[in-house]
Amino acid sequence: MLTKKFVNVGFEEIALGERRPFGFDDLRRYPLFSPEFLDILRRVMPPQRHDELVYGVVVTARKPREGAASAVPSARSQPSQEDPV
Amino acid sequence: MSYFSDPDARAIIREAYGRVHSDGFGVASAFYRPDELEGLPRGAVELSLGVGHPVRHAGLSPGEIVLDLGCGAGIDTLLAGQAVRPGGRAIGLDMTEEMVARARTNAAAAGLANVEILFGLMEAIPLADASVDVVVSNGVLNLSTRKSRALAEAMRVLRPGGRISIADLVLEDRLPEDVLKSPAALAG
Repeated sequence: MLTKKFVNVGFEEIALGERRPFGFDDLRRYPLFSPEFLDILRRVMPPQRHDELVYGVVVTARKPREGAASAVPSARSQPSQEDPV
Repeated sequence: MSYFSDPDARAIIREAYGRVHSDGFGVASAFYRPDELEGLPRGAVELSLGVGHPVRHAGLSPGEIVLDLGCGAGIDTLLAGQAVRPGGRAIGLDMTEEMVARARTNAAAAGLANVEILFGLMEAIPLADASVDVVVSNGVLNLSTRKSRALAEAMRVLRPGGRISIADLVLEDRLPEDVLKSPAALAG
Protein backbone atom coordinates (compact mmCIF):
# COMPACT_ATOMS: atom_id res chain seq x y z
CA MET A 1 0.00 0.00 0.00
CA LEU A 2 2.77 2.46 0.91
CA THR A 3 4.83 1.63 -2.17
CA LYS A 4 1.69 2.04 -4.30
CA LYS A 5 1.46 5.64 -3.11
CA PHE A 6 5.05 6.18 -4.28
CA VAL A 7 4.11 4.78 -7.69
CA ASN A 8 0.99 6.95 -7.91
CA VAL A 9 2.95 10.11 -7.21
CA GLY A 10 5.46 9.26 -9.96
CA PHE A 11 8.54 7.97 -8.10
CA GLU A 12 10.65 5.30 -9.76
CA GLU A 13 13.30 2.79 -8.61
CA ILE A 14 11.10 2.07 -5.58
CA ALA A 15 12.76 -0.39 -3.21
CA LEU A 16 12.16 -1.79 0.26
CA GLY A 17 15.31 -1.19 2.28
CA GLU A 18 14.27 -2.65 5.63
CA ARG A 19 11.33 -4.49 7.09
CA ARG A 20 11.09 -5.42 10.76
CA PRO A 21 8.17 -6.44 12.97
CA PHE A 22 7.12 -4.25 15.90
CA GLY A 23 5.57 -6.08 18.84
CA PHE A 24 4.62 -4.94 22.35
CA ASP A 25 8.23 -4.90 23.53
CA ASP A 26 9.09 -2.50 20.73
CA LEU A 27 6.09 -0.23 21.24
CA ARG A 28 6.80 0.00 24.97
CA ARG A 29 9.97 1.96 24.18
CA TYR A 30 7.93 4.81 22.69
CA PRO A 31 6.79 7.40 25.24
CA LEU A 32 3.80 8.29 23.04
CA PHE A 33 2.14 4.97 23.84
CA SER A 34 0.69 5.09 27.34
CA PRO A 35 0.57 1.91 29.46
CA GLU A 36 -3.23 2.21 29.32
CA PHE A 37 -3.24 2.21 25.53
CA LEU A 38 -0.87 -0.75 25.39
CA ASP A 39 -3.13 -2.63 27.81
CA ILE A 40 -6.12 -2.07 25.51
CA LEU A 41 -4.07 -3.19 22.53
CA ARG A 42 -2.95 -6.32 24.34
CA ARG A 43 -6.54 -7.20 25.22
CA VAL A 44 -8.00 -6.71 21.75
CA MET A 45 -5.18 -8.18 19.68
CA PRO A 46 -5.00 -11.96 19.27
CA PRO A 47 -1.93 -13.41 21.05
CA GLN A 48 -0.41 -14.63 17.77
CA ARG A 49 -0.02 -10.99 16.69
CA HIS A 50 1.60 -9.70 19.88
CA ASP A 51 5.08 -9.92 18.40
CA GLU A 52 4.07 -8.52 15.01
CA LEU A 53 1.51 -5.78 15.53
CA VAL A 54 2.89 -3.54 12.79
CA TYR A 55 5.98 -3.49 10.56
CA GLY A 56 8.66 -0.85 10.34
CA VAL A 57 9.82 -0.39 6.76
CA VAL A 58 12.25 1.86 4.92
CA VAL A 59 11.19 2.66 1.36
CA THR A 60 13.60 4.35 -1.04
CA ALA A 61 12.82 5.79 -4.46
CA ARG A 62 13.97 8.33 -7.02
CA LYS A 63 12.31 11.23 -8.83
CA PRO A 64 12.56 10.66 -12.59
CA ARG A 65 15.50 12.40 -14.20
CA GLU A 66 14.85 15.32 -16.53
CA GLY A 67 13.62 14.13 -19.90
CA ALA A 68 12.79 10.66 -18.59
CA ALA A 69 9.44 9.38 -19.76
CA SER A 70 7.03 8.61 -16.95
CA ALA A 71 3.99 6.37 -17.16
CA VAL A 72 2.21 8.21 -14.38
CA PRO A 73 1.12 11.83 -13.97
CA SER A 74 3.70 14.14 -12.43
CA ALA A 75 3.25 15.46 -8.90
CA ARG A 76 0.62 18.11 -8.44
CA SER A 77 1.99 21.54 -7.76
CA GLN A 78 -1.11 22.77 -5.97
CA PRO A 79 -3.02 21.17 -3.09
CA SER A 80 -6.00 19.14 -4.19
CA GLN A 81 -9.41 18.85 -2.57
CA GLU A 82 -9.35 15.15 -3.18
CA ASP A 83 -6.36 13.45 -1.68
CA PRO A 84 -6.55 9.68 -1.41
CA VAL A 85 -4.84 8.29 1.65
CA MET B 1 -9.19 5.52 5.57
CA SER B 2 -8.71 7.84 8.54
CA TYR B 3 -10.98 8.12 11.55
CA PHE B 4 -9.80 11.69 12.17
CA SER B 5 -10.29 14.90 10.21
CA ASP B 6 -7.19 16.82 9.12
CA PRO B 7 -7.48 19.50 11.84
CA ASP B 8 -8.32 16.95 14.55
CA ALA B 9 -5.38 14.74 13.59
CA ARG B 10 -2.98 17.71 13.62
CA ALA B 11 -4.29 18.85 17.00
CA ILE B 12 -3.85 15.38 18.49
CA ILE B 13 -0.34 15.03 17.11
CA ARG B 14 0.75 18.54 18.09
CA GLU B 15 -0.53 17.97 21.62
CA ALA B 16 1.09 14.54 21.95
CA TYR B 17 4.45 15.50 20.47
CA GLY B 18 4.50 18.87 22.23
CA ARG B 19 4.43 17.26 25.65
CA VAL B 20 6.35 14.09 24.92
CA HIS B 21 9.16 13.39 27.32
CA SER B 22 11.79 10.71 27.30
CA ASP B 23 14.81 10.15 29.44
CA GLY B 24 16.30 7.12 27.79
CA PHE B 25 18.00 5.98 24.62
CA GLY B 26 15.56 3.07 24.16
CA VAL B 27 14.30 3.95 20.70
CA ALA B 28 17.55 5.36 19.33
CA SER B 29 19.62 2.38 20.41
CA ALA B 30 17.33 0.09 18.41
CA PHE B 31 18.17 1.77 15.12
CA TYR B 32 21.44 3.71 15.32
CA ARG B 33 24.99 2.52 15.94
CA PRO B 34 26.63 3.69 19.19
CA ASP B 35 29.25 5.63 17.24
CA GLU B 36 26.50 7.52 15.40
CA LEU B 37 24.86 8.53 18.68
CA GLU B 38 28.09 9.42 20.44
CA GLY B 39 28.53 12.84 18.87
CA LEU B 40 24.90 13.94 19.09
CA PRO B 41 23.27 16.08 21.78
CA ARG B 42 21.46 14.04 24.43
CA GLY B 43 18.21 15.91 23.71
CA ALA B 44 18.16 14.72 20.11
CA VAL B 45 18.93 11.11 21.00
CA GLU B 46 16.44 10.84 23.88
CA LEU B 47 13.61 12.18 21.76
CA SER B 48 14.32 9.93 18.83
CA LEU B 49 10.88 8.55 18.00
CA GLY B 50 11.58 7.06 14.59
CA VAL B 51 10.95 3.56 13.34
CA GLY B 52 14.06 2.95 11.24
CA HIS B 53 17.20 4.58 9.87
CA PRO B 54 16.26 6.35 6.63
CA VAL B 55 19.50 8.36 6.54
CA ARG B 56 21.51 5.12 6.28
CA HIS B 57 19.50 4.14 3.21
CA ALA B 58 19.68 7.59 1.60
CA GLY B 59 23.31 7.23 0.45
CA LEU B 60 24.15 10.85 1.26
CA SER B 61 27.21 12.54 -0.25
CA PRO B 62 29.06 15.75 0.63
CA GLY B 63 27.50 18.81 -0.97
CA GLU B 64 23.94 17.50 -1.08
CA ILE B 65 20.88 19.31 0.27
CA VAL B 66 18.68 17.08 2.44
CA LEU B 67 15.16 17.71 3.73
CA ASP B 68 13.93 15.80 6.80
CA LEU B 69 10.12 15.74 6.92
CA GLY B 70 8.80 15.78 10.49
CA CYS B 71 12.24 16.18 11.98
CA GLY B 72 11.11 16.10 15.61
CA ALA B 73 14.02 16.85 17.93
CA GLY B 74 16.33 16.49 14.96
CA ILE B 75 18.30 13.25 15.22
CA ASP B 76 18.06 12.40 11.51
CA THR B 77 18.53 16.02 10.44
CA LEU B 78 21.74 16.17 12.46
CA LEU B 79 23.03 12.87 11.05
CA ALA B 80 22.21 14.13 7.55
CA GLY B 81 23.97 17.43 8.28
CA GLN B 82 27.09 15.51 9.29
CA ALA B 83 26.93 13.27 6.21
CA VAL B 84 26.70 16.06 3.63
CA ARG B 85 29.64 18.09 4.92
CA PRO B 86 31.47 19.83 3.40
CA GLY B 87 29.29 21.98 1.24
CA GLY B 88 25.94 20.34 1.94
CA ARG B 89 22.96 21.38 4.01
CA ALA B 90 20.27 19.61 6.04
CA ILE B 91 16.84 21.15 6.52
CA GLY B 92 14.47 19.84 9.18
CA LEU B 93 10.74 20.54 8.90
CA ASP B 94 8.22 20.04 11.70
CA MET B 95 4.68 21.22 12.45
CA THR B 96 5.12 21.22 16.24
CA GLU B 97 6.53 24.43 17.68
CA GLU B 98 8.04 22.60 20.65
CA MET B 99 9.88 20.17 18.37
CA VAL B 100 11.14 22.99 16.14
CA ALA B 101 12.57 24.70 19.22
CA ARG B 102 14.16 21.47 20.46
CA ALA B 103 15.66 20.70 17.05
CA ARG B 104 17.14 24.21 16.79
CA THR B 105 18.64 23.87 20.26
CA ASN B 106 20.08 20.46 19.36
CA ALA B 107 21.52 21.70 16.06
CA ALA B 108 23.24 24.55 17.91
CA ALA B 109 24.53 22.15 20.57
CA ALA B 110 25.90 19.87 17.84
CA GLY B 111 27.73 22.82 16.32
CA LEU B 112 26.26 22.10 12.90
CA ALA B 113 26.06 25.40 11.05
CA ASN B 114 24.75 23.64 7.95
CA VAL B 115 21.50 22.60 9.64
CA GLU B 116 18.36 24.71 9.41
CA ILE B 117 15.04 23.94 11.09
CA LEU B 118 11.77 25.16 9.56
CA PHE B 119 8.23 25.26 10.93
CA GLY B 120 5.64 23.89 8.53
CA LEU B 121 3.58 21.03 7.19
CA MET B 122 4.85 18.17 5.07
CA GLU B 123 1.66 18.54 3.01
CA ALA B 124 2.70 22.13 2.13
CA ILE B 125 6.49 22.21 2.26
CA PRO B 126 7.77 25.79 2.47
CA LEU B 127 10.52 25.26 -0.11
CA ALA B 128 10.84 25.97 -3.82
CA ASP B 129 10.36 23.38 -6.56
CA ALA B 130 13.42 21.20 -7.29
CA SER B 131 15.39 22.71 -4.41
CA VAL B 132 16.64 19.59 -2.57
CA ASP B 133 18.64 16.50 -3.55
CA VAL B 134 17.28 14.08 -0.96
CA VAL B 135 14.15 13.80 1.20
CA VAL B 136 14.22 11.64 4.33
CA SER B 137 11.55 11.02 6.94
CA ASN B 138 11.29 8.76 9.95
CA GLY B 139 8.00 7.52 11.38
CA VAL B 140 6.09 10.59 10.29
CA LEU B 141 4.24 9.84 7.06
CA ASN B 142 1.84 7.56 8.94
CA LEU B 143 0.78 10.56 11.04
CA SER B 144 -0.58 12.38 7.99
CA THR B 145 -4.20 12.05 6.95
CA ARG B 146 -3.02 13.13 3.47
CA LYS B 147 -0.09 10.83 2.76
CA SER B 148 -0.34 11.09 -1.01
CA ARG B 149 -0.31 14.88 -0.74
CA ALA B 150 2.82 14.72 1.45
CA LEU B 151 4.55 12.44 -1.06
CA ALA B 152 3.54 14.75 -3.93
CA GLU B 153 5.09 17.65 -2.05
CA ALA B 154 8.29 15.66 -1.55
CA MET B 155 8.30 14.99 -5.30
CA ARG B 156 7.84 18.70 -6.01
CA VAL B 157 10.77 19.91 -3.91
CA LEU B 158 13.13 17.18 -5.15
CA ARG B 159 15.34 18.02 -8.11
CA PRO B 160 15.02 15.64 -11.10
CA GLY B 161 16.85 12.45 -10.20
CA GLY B 162 16.61 13.27 -6.49
CA ARG B 163 16.11 10.53 -3.91
CA ILE B 164 13.68 9.81 -1.10
CA SER B 165 14.15 7.50 1.89
CA ILE B 166 11.15 7.04 4.16
CA ALA B 167 10.92 4.93 7.32
CA ASP B 168 7.37 4.27 8.37
CA LEU B 169 5.01 1.86 10.10
CA VAL B 170 2.74 -0.28 7.98
CA LEU B 171 -0.05 -2.69 8.81
CA GLU B 172 -0.23 -6.03 7.12
CA ASP B 173 -3.46 -6.99 8.88
CA ARG B 174 -6.14 -4.59 9.90
CA LEU B 175 -6.20 -3.45 13.52
CA PRO B 176 -9.47 -3.61 15.46
CA GLU B 177 -11.65 -0.52 15.05
CA ASP B 178 -11.36 0.37 18.76
CA VAL B 179 -7.63 0.71 18.29
CA LEU B 180 -7.83 2.64 15.03
CA LYS B 181 -10.20 5.18 16.62
CA SER B 182 -7.82 5.84 19.50
CA PRO B 183 -5.93 9.18 19.48
CA ALA B 184 -2.99 7.32 21.07
CA ALA B 185 -2.79 5.02 18.07
CA LEU B 186 -2.83 7.99 15.70
CA ALA B 187 -0.10 9.85 17.56
CA GLY B 188 2.03 6.77 17.88
